[in-house]
Amino acid sequence: MFLHNVNPTVKALTIIGTVFLLAFVFDPVTPVLYIVWTVIVTFLFGTFKKRYYLYYFIPFTLFAFGMFWTTIVFSDTASGTTGTVSFLGMEFPTEDIWTAAALGLRVLAFASLSLLFLFTTNMVHFILSLIQQLKLPPKIAYGVMAGYRFLPMLKTEFQQIRAAHRIRGVNRPDSWKEKLLQYQRFAIPLLAGAIRKAERTAIAMESKGFTGAKERTFYRPMKVRRKDWLFPVMMFGMLGVTIAFSLYFGYFSWYDGQL
Amino acid sequence: MNNWKLKEIVVMSVLSVVFAVVYLAFLPVGKILVGFFGPIGYDLIFGIWFIVSIITAYIIRKPGAAFLSETIAAAVEVLLGNAVGPMLLVSGMIQGLGAESAFAMTRYKRYDLFTLMLAGVMAAVFSFVWGYFLSGFAALSTGYVLAMFIARIISGAIISGVAGKVLSDALAKTGVLSSFALGKEYRRKRAA
Repeated sequence: MFLHNVNPTVKALTIIGTVFLLAFVFDPVTPVLYIVWTVIVTFLFGTFKKRYYLYYFIPFTLFAFGMFWTTIVFSDTASGTTGTVSFLGMEFPTEDIWTAAALGLRVLAFASLSLLFLFTTNMVHFILSLIQQLKLPPKIAYGVMAGYRFLPMLKTEFQQIRAAHRIRGVNRPDSWKEKLLQYQRFAIPLLAGAIRKAERTAIAMESKGFTGAKERTFYRPMKVRRKDWLFPVMMFGMLGVTIAFSLYFGYFSWYDGQL
Repeated sequence: MNNWKLKEIVVMSVLSVVFAVVYLAFLPVGKILVGFFGPIGYDLIFGIWFIVSIITAYIIRKPGAAFLSETIAAAVEVLLGNAVGPMLLVSGMIQGLGAESAFAMTRYKRYDLFTLMLAGVMAAVFSFVWGYFLSGFAALSTGYVLAMFIARIISGAIISGVAGKVLSDALAKTGVLSSFALGKEYRRKRAA
């Protein structure tokens, strides 16, 4: 439960900071170690349905493999090649494989970090914390929260428009081209409906006294407590340890124009 | 932010939310194209990922519209979960800044097709420079990177500039935008 109680802004800034630092690491070993660490932290200190975590993680692995593959196939041939590795019946220079693996694993490391955030953060708390800690203008923040709530509504609206079209004799699409045309027909009514609803929502908010002024009270005050700092210390500390580890074993490489 | 009306903000965020879903839907399309053509596949349709900043700026016509809408769309993409992670937020902000720069160059006075296409091109340029450092394009051969760059610029001008204008104009014709800058312009034209 620890992760759920960390102040959302502190958590988000920590994640962004680690992602930023990892973006400069160009060897495959450091990200692997850090992925393992992040996943362990997420599972130990977060409560959520573990199955969903897997569902989310699988597409990331495919994307990471795609990144790995395109980097190998389309990369410049490395100048100082020390040897080749055969992979799926083709020969590739070792350096290219190394860089490609680094890039692919980096994607996975970013993914595990963002999943840590997504699975342990309540979005409303996050936005409230952005207003209170980072001084995000309430006008924007509440506007965005209202807009975010439209998402499930838009889905029903979409189904309604489709049903309405069908009643009036528009056929089910049976080819790719027709399907595309169908989306074109849906776009305008869907957007027009959404804009109308948004306008009404704004009027309702104002009529209930929302001015968007910065001096306001909060039902849920979000504060940064001392124990919140444990999370950044833990994450940045472990990043330092993993880097030290791969430095010690001679795997580490920093961005140095290798690409 | 004080000269923004609340309804403009809510409409902007609704547009951003809608297009965040569209953006996510186009990621697999890009992946399929990448499967066929290599990394340039994304650049062919890259313009789709700038469209909300152009539409919002064209409809609302206030400083910051392009940047804020693209940022919100990226934030929603991150919240919905995607394969790129939180870095997407930064990419969105940079694309938004690119589009915003084009409108700033006209001092937020001109909203014709040329400006909208320029906004698409600027978003493409900004995002390409960012992608060059982040995604390791530098690993690819120079000619290929140049082809990607040109493809992205054209895509930005056509998909986000031209298609964004067509879509917003179609919306204005329905009358729902009557209290926004674009709708007001339409009414003035009709009265004249």
